[in-house]
Amino acid sequence: METQEISKLTYTQAITELEEIVKKMQSPDCSIDNLSQYTARSLELLKVCKAKLTATDEELRKVLDEMSDDKGGA
Amino acid sequence: MEALSLIEYNSRIKRLLFDPSVQSCWVTAETSDVRVSRGHCYLELIQKNDSGATVARLGAVIWASTFARLAHYFKSETGKDFSSNMKVMVKLSANFHEQYGLKAVIGDIDPKYTLGDMERIKREILARLQADGIIDMNKQLPWGLVPQRIAVISARGAAGYGDFMKQLHHNDYGLKFYTCLFEAVMQGENCVPSVISALDRVAAAEDKFDCVVIIRGGGSTSDLNSFDNYDLGANIAQFPLPIITGIGHDRDVTVPDMVSKLHVKTPTAAASFLVQCGAAQLERLKQLADAIATISREAIVQSREQLAYFGNFIPMAAMKLIETSRLQLNSYTQSIPMVLNSRLSNERMGLRHAQESIKSAVASAMERHRLQLDSLTDKVQLLSPQNTLNRGYSLTTLNGHVVTSASTINPGDRLETIFKDGKLTSVVE
Repeated sequence: METQEISKLTYTQAITELEEIVKKMQSPDCSIDNLSQYTARSLELLKVCKAKLTATDEELRKVLDEMSDDKGGA
Repeated sequence: MEALSLIEYNSRIKRLLFDPSVQSCWVTAETSDVRVSRGHCYLELIQKNDSGATVARLGAVIWASTFARLAHYFKSETGKDFSSNMKVMVKLSANFHEQYGLKAVIGDIDPKYTLGDMERIKREILARLQADGIIDMNKQLPWGLVPQRIAVISARGAAGYGDFMKQLHHNDYGLKFYTCLFEAVMQGENCVPSVISALDRVAAAEDKFDCVVIIRGGGSTSDLNSFDNYDLGANIAQFPLPIITGIGHDRDVTVPDMVSKLHVKTPTAAASFLVQCGAAQLERLKQLADAIATISREAIVQSREQLAYFGNFIPMAAMKLIETSRLQLNSYTQSIPMVLNSRLSNERMGLRHAQESIKSAVASAMERHRLQLDSLTDKVQLLSPQNTLNRGYSLTTLNGHVVTSASTINPGDRLETIFKDGKLTSVVE
């Protein structure tokens, strides 16, 4: 499996990889050894995806706030 | 010649205008310079030729008592306030006042004409956007999975903008959104250039946003028709990011609404849409998490079953192995005495043969040695001194030793001569 530094993934990349892994996990050919490896990676990806949706990216917030005509509104 | 006073002349004009041909006539014209003062609505009615030049003009008024009723009626029918730059059909009665001059008094208005004209303009703009091949360009842009970075084009401090921000940032799912306001005038004559300028500013930072939301500031719905503009429509249609518009209202959809990726009725609805996109992703994540949990649980159950199966199988296999070995051992135990007997019997026969051979060899050797002995006995008998003596020879000895040479005998030696039948002693001289 090609693993990329998880923090550098975009939401789309992370969820695409996550869905691929779940598909592999659902395959009857998936060994128990691979399964534990896949489970670990998928849980990390889930965490990243959820954080991207619900945790504030302060850097991004600051950049857009600077650009805004409504300072502090972003 | 007697001259008339101006007031008398004006009175004559006034009387002429009582003619029914200029009273209560339905007239189509375009409004201009519409202004309301103390409840009265003053305006200019104009007519333009095909090249846009004004070819007729008439000052008009809607008295306050009529205007209150007509303004409400007009808005309820068209969705717009009675304002400038509208094609209207009005019932005119010419009125000439000696002091203030000519004024056409508007007694009624037919909103259907205005509505039809606005529709015609809109249709023409849409047909042009279609002919240019750009009308669906914004609609064809894909949404990002989660539009979180949002450029908002609106009027700061307006109710609609506030509603949008509140709905978006205080959503029930804890979703994070990043908004950036690009302020624009959302009504009046400057609305179109102002919105286009805001779009240009967003385009300059295109990579920082997932989508654009254009929402009216709220409040008055006047001048909504100014949004029905080709340039604005073309800008929105060709914009590189998906655009959500909430410009029109329930009954009236503007050109920007029709060419944007998504048209919503209110700023709140725009925020709800974005929140729902995020919520759908959260749900997707939840489903994936459930799938992972189910797969892992099933895998553990399967592994346990497999282990249990192996657990049962191992003693069975061991018992089977022991039984097989026992049977094999029995078979060996039974076969050993048979093999031994057969082997002993063979060995016994071998021994018997050997015994016979030894006996015969011994007998043969004994015989051979007996014959040799006999032959030697004969030889010994032939060669014995006695036999030589018997044949007439004698044997001389000196001091017990046989004399074989005369040189060994000295005078005086006492010699003994042995014969076959006795011995004789003699002295050498």
